[in-house]
Amino acid sequence: MAGEATISKELIAQLIEGTIDDDNTNRLQRLPRKDQDRFLNYVAVLQSRVSWPDQILLRLGDRLYVARNGNNQRVVKCDCGHEFGDYRQNWKLGCKVRVRRTLAEMREVYDPAPACPEPGWQEVREFFCPQCATQHAVEVVAPGYPVVFEMLPDLDKFYRDYLGQPLPDEADDWYVDRTEHLTRHWAANATG
Amino acid sequence: MAVISERVIPTARTATQVPTLRQMVNERDRLTRETGHYCGIKDLSLRDADPIRYERFYNKLHAAVLAARESARFVAASPGSREMGECLWGITTPEGDTLAVSMGFLSHTAIFPVAIRYMADNDYDVNDGIEDGDVYAVSDGKTGGVPHPGDFYSFTSICHEGEVVGWAVGINHLMENGAPVAGSWATFSVDTFMDGLVCPPMRTGRKLRQESWWKAIWERRTRASTMNILDDKMRLAGCAMINDAAHQLLAEFGAEYYKRAIREVIEESRRMIVDNMRALMVPGTYNGCAFRLVKYEGLQNVWSHANKNTLIHVRASVEPNDNGLMLDTEGSSRWGYHSYNATPGGADAAVFLGMINSFAHNTKVTAGIELAVQRHYAPGSIYNPDYEFTSNANLWAQTVALNSIGFNAVSRATFSRGYLEEAFTVDGNWGAFQGAGTTADGTSYGFTNFEWLGGTGRGAWCYKDGEPLVWAAWSQIATIGDAEEFEACVPPLFYLGRKLLPGYFGYGKYRGGPGNSAVHWCVEPGKHVALTRPNGGLSCTTSVGLGMSGGYPGPGSFMISARGTNLPDLIAEGETPRDARELLAQVDSGQLTVENLEIWKTDCPELALHDHDLFVDAAGSSGGWGDPLDRNPALVIKDLNDGVAPDYDFVSRMHGVVAAQNPAGEWVLDVAATAEKRAALRKARLDDSLPAAEWWQQERAKVLAKQVVPEVHEMYSQSLSFAKFDGEFRRFWQLPADFSFSKE
Repeated sequence: MAGEATISKELIAQLIEGTIDDDNTNRLQRLPRKDQDRFLNYVAVLQSRVSWPDQILLRLGDRLYVARNGNNQRVVKCDCGHEFGDYRQNWKLGCKVRVRRTLAEMREVYDPAPACPEPGWQEVREFFCPQCATQHAVEVVAPGYPVVFEMLPDLDKFYRDYLGQPLPDEADDWYVDRTEHLTRHWAANATG
Repeated sequence: MAVISERVIPTARTATQVPTLRQMVNERDRLTRETGHYCGIKDLSLRDADPIRYERFYNKLHAAVLAARESARFVAASPGSREMGECLWGITTPEGDTLAVSMGFLSHTAIFPVAIRYMADNDYDVNDGIEDGDVYAVSDGKTGGVPHPGDFYSFTSICHEGEVVGWAVGINHLMENGAPVAGSWATFSVDTFMDGLVCPPMRTGRKLRQESWWKAIWERRTRASTMNILDDKMRLAGCAMINDAAHQLLAEFGAEYYKRAIREVIEESRRMIVDNMRALMVPGTYNGCAFRLVKYEGLQNVWSHANKNTLIHVRASVEPNDNGLMLDTEGSSRWGYHSYNATPGGADAAVFLGMINSFAHNTKVTAGIELAVQRHYAPGSIYNPDYEFTSNANLWAQTVALNSIGFNAVSRATFSRGYLEEAFTVDGNWGAFQGAGTTADGTSYGFTNFEWLGGTGRGAWCYKDGEPLVWAAWSQIATIGDAEEFEACVPPLFYLGRKLLPGYFGYGKYRGGPGNSAVHWCVEPGKHVALTRPNGGLSCTTSVGLGMSGGYPGPGSFMISARGTNLPDLIAEGETPRDARELLAQVDSGQLTVENLEIWKTDCPELALHDHDLFVDAAGSSGGWGDPLDRNPALVIKDLNDGVAPDYDFVSRMHGVVAAQNPAGEWVLDVAATAEKRAALRKARLDDSLPAAEWWQQERAKVLAKQVVPEVHEMYSQSLSFAKFDGEFRRFWQLPADFSFSKE
């Protein structure tokens, strides 16, 4: 059965590295049912590629993960090892932020000139790792727009119900957006 | 006992004790709601008892709709339907739930039950009855769920022994639909009365034949009657084939089997889709946003209430659950006096584009997707207006972004899950133009040019660059940007060039597939020709608000009008422009002189063209994936040498690559200098940026002072009127309770 197919870790590594050939890509895309052990193999490959020992729980971006650190906290972590804090808070608020507001600034990232977003109505936000300067995210949004929490995973449900391998530290409040804890703290600082 | 009325309606409905359409729709709703299974079907008893017979039944059903498409569009059709494939046929249950669809723009299945519900709620089958082979025209968003009036539907009833047992449906995108703005997207409508030929479900024919009066509607109420009449015949021809096939199935399998099997196939596919979602996604909450500008200020002097600009906010979250997933659009803008409003049915038609492609690839494409994808369209919002006469003529321009948000949630999920081969950046940037003219001999015509609707760039994959032209989010059948017969035959317009537009994509570790550009040359327009341009995302905003993993979202479409040119001089020199970039370069160099050069980053109003005027479009770009500084330098060099990204200064700054041209003109990488430049750019990132906490303090002060342009101010005023976004906004910026964007 196609549902029982196993994809080698070598092939998964090629996908991660971008070296996979088109024939193998097509083969993977045409599987009637995906290989069910892909996630665990994927995480194993990812784990072998990072320089830190913390257990990867989920990959969020090319160089961004949810990992369980040495303090048994679930944190967002960069390839370089920088920790952005509790994964229930929007990790973008742990970044350094550069905003392109003028046409000249936007022209540096959009080509040709008429393709540029309109200043005033839109701004381009770039989110960098404060340690290695990796650009983890880009937003092109209206000025004043709340920074978007792209994905808050329900890890307990994923590991328990989808993978059948419950996490040892399950708790009721793991799937709760805690970004406000941060902004409330910032607001308190602002008002002294 | 006195009988008040003995009028006997000559339909089988009153002759037998069959349920009314309203009863059937209500019963379907009740059983599905109470059991969580389609029509209460918990056991797939026919499938399990004899799977071969069951699959044979379904294959015949499916074959009927496939054959309808492949035959009908070659029997009678406009070139648009025949060549580009903007058409679809389907067969449904009595309640309008899809059983099978042909190739084509299959997400339109979403509207079928909307039109049938309206007919049921309004007792179409009671007064004055529905008989086998009745033909209904549908193109209204509110009552028919139609995405926009340019999409025209023919519903034909399938009756058996006096009971409606199904519907055959044919759809295509009209070449012209008779609105004040000529073409098939009435871009500047302010309400439904400007949307052109809008038909709530209305019977136009009997016994699989249109009535004679119907032809007059096409001739008098549209500008491309010949093409539209051909398409009307095409839709009906396909429906007639499906009707015939359904009766053969009823005869072969019996009505009892038929009525049970059509429920089972939907329940079966619902289960499969839910299972697929669980197999491919990671549970959680995925958020996305997009923006669209409606630039009406100064253009709507007659309709003063619409004479303003609007920044539309498209907001959605996706949350997988045990029954599939929930797509919640709360926080999106309110409806407005413009052509971009959606209806729930029209929004569904967009949302299901990605959902069907992602989750119904290995099962029967049925109404099962509608049960697995739960939708919340907040009343009063742009997706569920509480004003009954909103225009939805250009719905796609913003609703396609809603699809992109949902589709990108799937991409994020498959990326996290490890199915990287499925993860790519979704945009949905299309362009088209439309108009009307009168030739020198007085012949009038209307037209729509779909060339960049049939094929757009696909966004970057998470492991390789996106490809140009290979996909169209709204159809499985990308025509790779062909200029079909009907597009090459608009009397005064000739192509000077059609190209991929270099550099026109979202950048990243992997770039999006480049967009396209064409130069249209006006020659001897006769008495008049004028065009407008509706688009799925114009470049004043990007296609979607969020890039993927550090890549930039794809830019929107734009166009350039160059009126009053010295083109004959350039023709004599053999140096005419072939795309937007070349045209602008020739203007800059003085080679091309233009009396009136306009760059349109929003929908352009009607542009009248004269001899040697040029109209240049650019559309179909797509977004990048990953940090641009992570791009393999060899790929940057390849793009320079291939002309895909031709501006060295731009890509050098974007990717931190240093190169020089050798005597043969080829770019050659400087490895050491590239490493230095990348290090410098990373340092510059940190030097030029603020810690988020500091940035937040500065931005919060602006929000508190409401330092935004009026369009953004009104956008927030609208979106904050919905509790979900209001809460998010207030929590994020920690605003006082009395803060408001509402007008004082």
